[in-house]
Amino acid sequence: MEQARIGVFVCHCGVNIGAYVDVPQVVEYVKGLPNVVHAERNLFTCSEEGISAIKKAIPEYSLNRVIVASCTPRTHERLFRAACEEAGLNKYLFEFVNIRDQCSWVHMREPGKATEKAKELIKMGVAKARLLQPLEEIEIPVIPSCLVMGGGVVGISAALNLAEQGFEVHLVEKEGELGGTLLDIYKLFPTNEQASKLIGALIQKVKDHSKIKTHLSTKVKDASGFIGNFDATLDEDGKESKLKVGTIIVATGAEELKPLGQYGYGKFPNVITQLELEQRMKKEGFDGQNVVMINCVGARVPERTYCSRFCCMTAVKNATLIKESNPTSKVWLLHRDLMAYGVEFENYYRKSMEQGVRFIRYELEKLPRVIGNGKAEKVKVWHQLRGREVELSVDIVVLTTPLIPRADNEEISKMLKVPLSEQGFFLEAHLKLMPVEFATDGIYLCGSARWPTDIAEGVSQAYAAAAKAAIPMRRGYVKPEAITALVDEDKCSGCGTCEPVCPFKAIELQARDGKKVSHISEAVCKGCGTCGAACPAGAIIMNHFRDVEILAQIEALFSKSN
Amino acid sequence: MNGQNGHKSVLVIGGGIAGIQASLDLANMGFKVYLVEKSPSIGGRMAQLDKTFPTNDCAMCILAPRMIEANSHSNIDLYTYSEVEDVSGEVSDFKVKIKRNSPFVDWSKCTGCGLCEEGCPVILPKEFDQGLGKRKAIFIPFPQAVPKKYTVDKREERPCKAACMDACPAHTNVLGYIKLIAEGEFQEAYKLIRDTNPLPASVGRVCYAPCEEACNRGQIDEPMAIRDLKRFAADQVNIEELEVPTVTKTDKKVAIVGSGPAGLAAANDLALKGHDVTIFEALPESGGMLRVGIPEYRLPKEILRKEIGYIQKLGVEIRTGVQVGKDIALEEIRGNYDALFIAAGAHGGMRLRMEGEELPGVIEGIRFLRAVNLGEKVEVGKKTAVIGGGNTAVDCARTAKRLGAEEVKIVYRRSRSEMPASAEETAAVEEEGIPIEFLTTPTRFFPGNGKLARMECVKMKLGEPDASGRPRPIPIEGSEFTTSVDTVIAALGQAPETEFVKEFGVSLSKRGMIEIDPETGATNIEGVFAGGDVVTGPAFVIDAIAAGKRAAHSIDRHLKGEPIEVKEEGKEPEKLSEEEVEDRKKRFPSQKRVRLRDEPIGERIKDFREVSLGYTVEEAIEEASRCLAGQIEGCIECHECAKRCEANAIAYTMQDEHIEIDVGAIILATGLDLYDVSPLTEYGYGKIKNVVTAIEFERLTAASGPTFGELKRPSDGKIPHAIAFIQCVGSRDFKHKAYCSSVCCMHATKEAILAYEHHPGTKSTIFYMDLRAVGKRFQEYVTRAKEEYNVTYIRSRPGRVAVNPENQNPIVWYEDTTTTETKNMEVDLVVLCQAMTPRGSKELAEMLGIELNEYGFVEVPDKLSHPVDSTRPGIFACGYVHSPRDIPDSVTQGSGAAARAAEVIAGGS
Repeated sequence: MEQARIGVFVCHCGVNIGAYVDVPQVVEYVKGLPNVVHAERNLFTCSEEGISAIKKAIPEYSLNRVIVASCTPRTHERLFRAACEEAGLNKYLFEFVNIRDQCSWVHMREPGKATEKAKELIKMGVAKARLLQPLEEIEIPVIPSCLVMGGGVVGISAALNLAEQGFEVHLVEKEGELGGTLLDIYKLFPTNEQASKLIGALIQKVKDHSKIKTHLSTKVKDASGFIGNFDATLDEDGKESKLKVGTIIVATGAEELKPLGQYGYGKFPNVITQLELEQRMKKEGFDGQNVVMINCVGARVPERTYCSRFCCMTAVKNATLIKESNPTSKVWLLHRDLMAYGVEFENYYRKSMEQGVRFIRYELEKLPRVIGNGKAEKVKVWHQLRGREVELSVDIVVLTTPLIPRADNEEISKMLKVPLSEQGFFLEAHLKLMPVEFATDGIYLCGSARWPTDIAEGVSQAYAAAAKAAIPMRRGYVKPEAITALVDEDKCSGCGTCEPVCPFKAIELQARDGKKVSHISEAVCKGCGTCGAACPAGAIIMNHFRDVEILAQIEALFSKSN
Repeated sequence: MNGQNGHKSVLVIGGGIAGIQASLDLANMGFKVYLVEKSPSIGGRMAQLDKTFPTNDCAMCILAPRMIEANSHSNIDLYTYSEVEDVSGEVSDFKVKIKRNSPFVDWSKCTGCGLCEEGCPVILPKEFDQGLGKRKAIFIPFPQAVPKKYTVDKREERPCKAACMDACPAHTNVLGYIKLIAEGEFQEAYKLIRDTNPLPASVGRVCYAPCEEACNRGQIDEPMAIRDLKRFAADQVNIEELEVPTVTKTDKKVAIVGSGPAGLAAANDLALKGHDVTIFEALPESGGMLRVGIPEYRLPKEILRKEIGYIQKLGVEIRTGVQVGKDIALEEIRGNYDALFIAAGAHGGMRLRMEGEELPGVIEGIRFLRAVNLGEKVEVGKKTAVIGGGNTAVDCARTAKRLGAEEVKIVYRRSRSEMPASAEETAAVEEEGIPIEFLTTPTRFFPGNGKLARMECVKMKLGEPDASGRPRPIPIEGSEFTTSVDTVIAALGQAPETEFVKEFGVSLSKRGMIEIDPETGATNIEGVFAGGDVVTGPAFVIDAIAAGKRAAHSIDRHLKGEPIEVKEEGKEPEKLSEEEVEDRKKRFPSQKRVRLRDEPIGERIKDFREVSLGYTVEEAIEEASRCLAGQIEGCIECHECAKRCEANAIAYTMQDEHIEIDVGAIILATGLDLYDVSPLTEYGYGKIKNVVTAIEFERLTAASGPTFGELKRPSDGKIPHAIAFIQCVGSRDFKHKAYCSSVCCMHATKEAILAYEHHPGTKSTIFYMDLRAVGKRFQEYVTRAKEEYNVTYIRSRPGRVAVNPENQNPIVWYEDTTTTETKNMEVDLVVLCQAMTPRGSKELAEMLGIELNEYGFVEVPDKLSHPVDSTRPGIFACGYVHSPRDIPDSVTQGSGAAARAAEVIAGGS
């Protein structure tokens, strides 16, 4: 192997690193490490200036390994690798050392130690970089077809967008008809349009679209494969069929919490939820005289801490609709913070007050009480402004409850190998900048399966997920990371220990020359290393994290010399 | 909406996170994207944020990779500092005109190195820091800007011709340093002067100021007091504490003969180039004529000593008391050095050539001044006459007065208007009670008691002009008269003493001056250069400095083995035309030059104290503010950046560029503006120093902000330990914006957390109406703020903010809604969470033919099933211009708009 010529770029990250780690000192130290032929510091290595410094140094110092000591590979590895690639260096000859999260951030109050740690981490990086090998990525074709799970307004919108873009779509709905929750809803805020009209039009579009194949009363029973080549097994009322798609969108929605035991729900017939109210309004209209709505039932409480985002507006809308249809009715809305964010909602909220909906704020410490005998008769609530408890007579109590994750989320999560958040909703790759992507390539999410969302936001997310799905499908291929596990078939005893531990189902045992050996699909393997750790024979090699590389790092850490 | 035959490209307007996301998604799908951003960098509002809620991710850290990806993506044409001018056509076939504003920098050459910025004298509020920080007229908006290219903020034409700079032999950046003085940046002004003039404090006292004569303001009322301002700038700096730059040493050695202004200037420049410089000075003190020719009361020795001291600190060795040709042979120097610069000056006096000249009591002017300046004992008689009409004569007369001569007069053979001494000096000498006898010249001196006793003079009349162009003085026969006199000082002029170079073979002129190539300073002998009075005969300090610098430039090239090229010099100073003068008179009111104050006459003649007192700070700023160039906003075209730019990228004449593109769809993503909260006078913004807006607070905590991430309050830089955040300032308010701005509850919570992280223990109080923490993990974030970060939420809309005059602490008055009591809370800092408005939507909506709602957000006709569509097919909107929303929602909409645009342009594929 050619002599390693390593270039090290140490980043100040403004004050993020520079204020705690003595970067010039680190650079001086690094210059003395073996095989380091160039070391420099940059104010921001990720800036154009820093990137061009890397691209300039590679030919100038004939670098064949590059190390950036800065923040985290999660956000920046791609960028630095691309810089190496543009300068003609195989991108797997790049090594990342994180001296921000692991030095400056965690040792802010002991800058001397942070500096020493940075030196040691870079020393380890150098030891590893010496042994790095170039890797080649394989090109995987992408089937231009998408499986959309969930036939509600969000799933339909994603399907229609992709179909309009020219892709084939399989729209899978477990119920017997398309439409999802919207089928139960009367009118929609903030436009007050009929939900049935909106969803009806969309369903008709789906039906008319030649590119969309709808699978009703169908569940996705199994899915395997990887971006570009997913194999899905559909179960339509017990009848199984197979499907090959390039991408998957999860749009399975969520369901309303039924607050059994709270405020007389389940005990008094006239205590219902907002969705039940919607159903009633839709079917037979509504003509209650004294209505009390209670918001945040089961939401923003210790046992369920989150806010379900749109329920305030559901309550405001339903309260307004009741007042509209029966102006003499008395409608009280008992609420905590009223989540009428933005332009339209705030407007709607204000109009509801003008219409005569009465708003009473309650605190978690002084919850309203529903009192009745056989049915709810009164609601007592502490009135802050009056400084006393008030008593409201009621014909009906409507409880505003949050959306909760669907029961089958867990099942889908396991099947697709995508994570759920602590609340049980699906968890995106990055809360801020990757809201509709999973960490797993080729699978996307949108709508209330991700987080409670209103129609407009859900549809926007549907489009966003469709955009993400369209990217590999339009390109026609993907090149996954080359950091994968590799089986040394000579050493493999075929024991099969690796197969069940693989979280991505990338491993299967195959027959080879009369014995069984483990085989790892490069396309599916995510390079997590679990199999490598489990293999009793040491037959699994982790590319880019080979034993020799890791051992060299450890040795570097504990050796006294450079 | 089928785009089978339409253009497979999309225009995205706005380079914030929403626009970037839309662009990247479309580009990654394989479509061509034109991303147009008004400011010089993409990144938008998100780039201004320190951290983002609810993950506390560093905003720039997660944004920067996307900015760079957008800039380097092969499918994205990025047009920053550009605006959409016109849109025609329809969906699938829009024609778009884009104006690319001239950045006056050739971006294909600019490397973003920042050298230009350091030199720029024009300081402007930094938009990126909401004006809390400062930037230069040539700037990048923030360190991580993409593309990292400089832009010159040039807004108007400079109202003058910068004639001062052309008139100055050293081409000092006069516009620049005057601007810096006007801005109160005195240190910077000094540094800028010192770039072209190594002796600002000395020159600021003694220069004949050709710049002032040329100054275009002089055509309007009075010229700028350029020299006095230079002195002012120099006086604000403690030269002895100035940092010495580190330079890479070369192995070349240069010898300089003479430590006057020419020698010092050359030494300074050569030392800064890394060469080893030794100066040989014949006199016991260094400084040449500045030291021995100019009296203390005009240039205090201490000031000169400090300026020379700094040059010595650069590594220049000065060997005083070494006379070349006597103590050391020129040949020897030549052998030991790689180059030689002769700047020996003109220290020889001129003889009167008349009877009695040898009498004790008759002395050469230049020798007289030298003796006084070197502290030798010099006696003058009661009656002293100074012969001559130049500055030396004036200096001699004023010096003699200070040495105790009771009667001093100047005898000059021509009339006042021919006097070579400056009018200023002439006036000063007369003020001090020294008469000038014009049209008079001595003819003989008579002894008495073995020394000078009387002087015979003759009256003169003026005849035809002589070789110098002045009328020749002709003696009037019979007008002789005699006066008694004890001392005569003959200040007739000086000449170089060049004997020592003769044998060396340096060619001399007939008048005994060294002959050089005037443009390079080279003599006839390779490696030997000369400049200053030794070449020109007695001239001015600034001319000598210019000569020294010119020679240094040539010597440096010679030492590097490069051909000696002529350094580009300025043009002739230009005058304003008559029309221009009229125009300027209308635009800029007449303003008198601020005069320097002098020490009182009666006092100052008693000793050698400095006569001129110099400007006070106020006077200097007032005078500097008169400069015509400084009357405009933005770049004043001093060309300092061009001088510094090694890539030659500055292009003052660059024009705006207009381009036309065809696109199938358009995405509007112009983001948000911040609502001006100063009309909400009850909160004191703009009046109470420690009331800031949330975005200002964000910049105060950000590492790239004006305080480099140190959270300090504006009034006194104190760390704020108690902070109040007021929500809905301008939002949910009928008098201002009736809507909810959607993100403020959360960013206030985040900022309160950041304040605690900066200074643990900080107590924050958030005054809110409804705490709209509706996003994923927002409630949990608020809970953490309460439990771990000492944040208290009070439901109340404060009525007003007052101030405690003693400590500038703001006092928040509010009603406690649980008790309906009025309360107040004194805090260190108040943060106003101001409303946000759609940015640039009005102008664009008209151009795009789309409708807006009453607040200027994009009108979406089908809000629920087509939430990112505008009223016009093929035009989509995302981010804050669409409706108030946070980053994840903007990113989502960006992708969503991309998907909708893809439908339009991909149809059928």
